[in-house]
Amino acid sequence: MSFRSVFIAIVIAFGLVLGAFLVHRARPSVDTEQPNADFVRATGKCAECHSRQQYSVVHEYEMSKHAAKGVSCLECHQPAASQEKKEHNGFVISAQMTSGNCKACHEQIYQEFTRSRHAAASWAAVMGEKGLTPEQIAFGEEYNPGYVKRPANALAKLEGASSITSGCVQCHAVGKPNADGTVGNCTVCHMRHTSSVAIARMPQTCGQCHMGPDHSQIEIYEESRHGILFSAQEKLIHLDADPKSLTTRDMFVPTCATCHMSGINGTKLTHNPGERLSYYLADAISKQRPNYLAAQTNMKQICNQCHTKSLIDRVYTQAEAVLVTTNGKVQKAQDLVAGLRKDGVLGPQPFQKPIDFLLFDLWHYDGRTSKHGAFMGGADFVQWHGNYELLKKHTQLEAMAEELRAKHGHSR
Amino acid sequence: MPSTVTAGSAERVPRVNSLSANDLWLEVFGAFNFLCLTGDIALAHSENHFRARAEYVPLWFSLIAAVLLIGALIARLRSNRLGLWNYLGRLVGWASILVGTAGVVYHLDSQFFYERTLKSLTYAAPFSAPAAYIGLGCLILMNRMVSPRSREWSQWVLFFTLGGFAGNFVLSLTDHAVNGFFHWTEWIPVASSAVAVGFLLVLLFLDAEAGFLWWCAGVLLLQMCVGVAGFALHLWADFHGPAANLFANVISGAPPFAPLLFPNLAILGFIGIVAMARDAS
Repeated sequence: MSFRSVFIAIVIAFGLVLGAFLVHRARPSVDTEQPNADFVRATGKCAECHSRQQYSVVHEYEMSKHAAKGVSCLECHQPAASQEKKEHNGFVISAQMTSGNCKACHEQIYQEFTRSRHAAASWAAVMGEKGLTPEQIAFGEEYNPGYVKRPANALAKLEGASSITSGCVQCHAVGKPNADGTVGNCTVCHMRHTSSVAIARMPQTCGQCHMGPDHSQIEIYEESRHGILFSAQEKLIHLDADPKSLTTRDMFVPTCATCHMSGINGTKLTHNPGERLSYYLADAISKQRPNYLAAQTNMKQICNQCHTKSLIDRVYTQAEAVLVTTNGKVQKAQDLVAGLRKDGVLGPQPFQKPIDFLLFDLWHYDGRTSKHGAFMGGADFVQWHGNYELLKKHTQLEAMAEELRAKHGHSR
Repeated sequence: MPSTVTAGSAERVPRVNSLSANDLWLEVFGAFNFLCLTGDIALAHSENHFRARAEYVPLWFSLIAAVLLIGALIARLRSNRLGLWNYLGRLVGWASILVGTAGVVYHLDSQFFYERTLKSLTYAAPFSAPAAYIGLGCLILMNRMVSPRSREWSQWVLFFTLGGFAGNFVLSLTDHAVNGFFHWTEWIPVASSAVAVGFLLVLLFLDAEAGFLWWCAGVLLLQMCVGVAGFALHLWADFHGPAANLFANVISGAPPFAPLLFPNLAILGFIGIVAMARDAS
């Protein structure tokens, strides 16, 4: 009989299998406890190839909260509802990533985002209704009336397709309608593979688009006390603090996100900055938003986490005064040019004469800058970049108008 | 027939009875394996589209090695040119060891050298796969260094079978770990190869009774069944893969030919067992 030999052989085999089983059990549960084998493979197989082809993509992901929580590549890259599927080296992935992929886990945030002007309203500001479904237009109009159901931007059309593609759309695509029926792209602010809250809280992130003479929020912030404190103390604040438990101990210096979106010290977090904005400051003539009172109360509550009520009220009173006078100055300039148009001195089409551009600059650059500066603590922007320019350009407008009328034999 | 031959020997030997000549069966086994490796490498390296030029080396080498071994075998069987057979075999053997060693190093140079963790080892290119070349090279060399009539020859054959099943154990463990052993059936080849390793270890290193050879033969038969079942399961998975065509699924999905390594090694084991049984009798 070979009992002894067989017994030893089986013991060896059992030992090997047991060893293999124990090694497998020692693997992190996030690697193995997945809904199917593809998700398990995605925890390592994707990185195996892509770390050689696009190292930074894998490295950025490895630094992310998603990686720390065991969210694999496939969880984000799997096709969301209504998305086109693509076979990729044994995996089925989405042919085009959209906010629909983020929405699968972050539904509440997506809902807030779609109600904001970052969504369809942002896209429509350049492209009009193009690409938006009737449902998306109706939804956008419900929350931002007049800002979604609108024609394409007249100036952008004159500048041409390449300028729109490489210029306007680069920022306004934050609200681009997607083929899967969703709107927008979360990675504009959170970056693709980093999916970072910390980066979204950086002023520079908002400054990607909110910069330049037409919306100089980043320049105003940098000039403000908030911006100076951030420059000096950036390394001391916790930009990566958990959004659900963020306090002023983490962010004792505010960035754009702190005031406009973050839930700090228990206040409500939102991905709709409009919940805290009481005026349409980007408009030529700024009106109160439909949620004016609630929005101002919300923002003042945030201000109150660091400032006293008297200071907050004073800032608001002064800023609203600037807004009212700026509105008046812009209205006066618009009336001047409207008069020329009414009298036939100017044709009906916009942007045909230098005076059209001067008027546009007046409200689009100087009017906005003046108002934004007033609400954001940018004194220089209220005055030199705002009201001084308004005054100067108004004088130029009057001179141009007179000259045009003279040319057309309509001198007053 | 001499018990050992030396490299470069031009000695002519009498015709051998190929049906009973174990060493010739081993040569056929070697040549067949190099042919199979040609196809296997073509599929495996297609997964990353032969990104590095070095990935073509094993492809061409396998084909050339198979042709050389077949040529050497024909030369020996038809013309009794033992010297040529010996020379070509040694050339193929040493080159195969070189290719295999380089392959192991290249395969490890994926994630593993940057991140020496079990995870990176699991998801890296199968680092133990190129060891098949080392095993085959050693087998071809051994066949020229040890008399096929000696007990040592059969022991060496079984030792290489043992090495192959040990490699199979590691390969099936790491390959299926990529899926997290999501289906319990993925443990079968791990357990099966562990059983083969256990029995062959005992056969080689303990003073096993003659009857134990039958047990080993049974275990090898089991390996054949496991391999065929694995082939069917892998193919089934590929037929249901995400790609539009089967070839793409074969490239990126379950490798259908990988489980056939089990029957392949079982055949090698049978050659060794038959030789050992003959010695015992």
